[in-house]
Amino acid sequence: MTDQKKTILVVDDEADICDYISTVLEDNGFDTLVAADGRQALESIKKGKPDLITLDVSMPERSGVRFYRDVKESEEYKNIPVIIISGVDASFEKFISTRRQVPPPDGYIRKPIDKAELVEMVRKLTGS
Amino acid sequence: MNQPYRRFFEALPGYCTVQDRDFMIVEANQRFRKDFGDYQGRHCYQIYKQRSEKCEICPVERTFRDGQDHSGEEQVTCTDGRCVSVIVYTTPIRDENGEIAAVMEMSTDITEMKSLQRQMRESQERYRMLFEEVPCYISIQDRELNIIEANRKFKEDFGSFLGCKCYQVYKHRDRQCLDCTVQETFRDGRVHHSEEVVSSKSGKKNVLVYTAPLHGPDGNIKSVMEMSADITPIRELQGKLESVGLLISSISHGIKGLLTGLDGGMYLVDTGLKMNKPERLNKGWGMVQRNVERIRSLVLNILYYAKDREPVFEKIVIGELAEEVIEVIKHKASELGIQVSSEVDQACGEMLADRNGLRALLVNLLENSLDACRVDTKNDMHGVRLRVSPESLKILFEIEDNGIGMDREACDKAFSLFYSSKGTEGTGLGLFIADKIVRAQGGTIEIESRPGEGTRFLVRIPSGPVKTVTSDNPLEE
Repeated sequence: MTDQKKTILVVDDEADICDYISTVLEDNGFDTLVAADGRQALESIKKGKPDLITLDVSMPERSGVRFYRDVKESEEYKNIPVIIISGVDASFEKFISTRRQVPPPDGYIRKPIDKAELVEMVRKLTGS
Repeated sequence: MNQPYRRFFEALPGYCTVQDRDFMIVEANQRFRKDFGDYQGRHCYQIYKQRSEKCEICPVERTFRDGQDHSGEEQVTCTDGRCVSVIVYTTPIRDENGEIAAVMEMSTDITEMKSLQRQMRESQERYRMLFEEVPCYISIQDRELNIIEANRKFKEDFGSFLGCKCYQVYKHRDRQCLDCTVQETFRDGRVHHSEEVVSSKSGKKNVLVYTAPLHGPDGNIKSVMEMSADITPIRELQGKLESVGLLISSISHGIKGLLTGLDGGMYLVDTGLKMNKPERLNKGWGMVQRNVERIRSLVLNILYYAKDREPVFEKIVIGELAEEVIEVIKHKASELGIQVSSEVDQACGEMLADRNGLRALLVNLLENSLDACRVDTKNDMHGVRLRVSPESLKILFEIEDNGIGMDREACDKAFSLFYSSKGTEGTGLGLFIADKIVRAQGGTIEIESRPGEGTRFLVRIPSGPVKTVTSDNPLEE
């Protein structure tokens, strides 16, 4: 682990799941920010400069997908790795990976979440 | 008669007689004599028809009267009892003064032709009956797509539209369909088929259509027969199976989210205990409780969906019912920091309704409102209000919140099965079931909502029981 704690932005409309993921990450040596929708997430990204984002794409009004596109289209933020966490099936993974407009996500984790897999993926992608 | 003419007369290949004004046969040829025997001194009607008097309609009589040739069809009986169908021609025989002295009657045996005619008519009738009684729609169209013939089932379900265009009758269109199998059959003379949705008198039907060419005597395609089998029940069943599939995928999707929440709760409880952090433990326990509660309501919803229960009408004190449902959601509301209030008009009193259904409905809508407040980040002070007031013969329940609100599209789809505006959390069952409960009691449900401002549900339930409405449950039947 590096000296500097890495910051992870957890985006999920479900408060319990936000709490869960952020607690797991904090217990594994990360700082966390949480956001309940795409709008909040954009605000946090500006203020908190996260090193990685975990994102639930199936939030109300498709705000997860929109946020993902906003991040990947932004010169400033497009290099922040994004792990998509979702309960929807593999077809979405295929869908988002085949869009030409946006690059595929850096990682993909399905609900129910495997804690160890998540932590390992976050470590790898943040170089911790 | 001169000798050569006598020979011709004798040799004629039909029954040939000469009769006087009394219909007495004065001459007859060989063929007649062979089949009818001795004619001397006998009347025509006695010999041909074994009658005691003249026939009512008699071509011989007519010829005597007007001097013209006449003809007709008759059935005569030979001496051996054989019935013979004949076509009769009569012509006058005039004397030197031009007066009609006698009438010659010549009858040709058409028995065989008659029997062929009868067979043909019978077989025509048989085909006609098949055409009429086939349990599918048959129509025959000409090149201009006019319906020139249709069977009974078609007429029953689409009306008598002979002469109308097929696209008008089958589809209520004012122009020809884009893919027209009838035209294709006219073009290539082959059988074509397609699946279509048509509008019969009793509503829309899914049909499987076959078109086949009907050729004229010159070998050209004169018209096209369109035969449509009603496959609506099969399509309906398919639709039901699809919605069962959707239900399962929606449920498993919902459960994934709830399991993740439970996992989270367990993790916090676990680590809270290990680290001796009571705060974390409490938080985790809250998560466990919440998610177990959600699983419970999901399961109840599924059961409600799967089982079409008949409403049981009983007397309900409306004020008590309101208190009861508020009590159910109070705990959840206070946890979320949402104000809950209820207002029951004194004039409400009692109503005769399905208590369990109504209770489930109100709890469902109130929980929905809590969710709408919970996910709303714009507003700090959230409130959910239940208002009950009487309307003529109805009770109006208003459930109002200042939560996230819904746009027009979400409102329009809100009551559809498996539609959810809640992302991962919703199963799309809640409002579908709410609508089902309301309809079962003969009531109505409306939504007024604006994004960012909140939502109001208006439920009107008759204060006495009315005829119930059957539901369309894919898991039943």
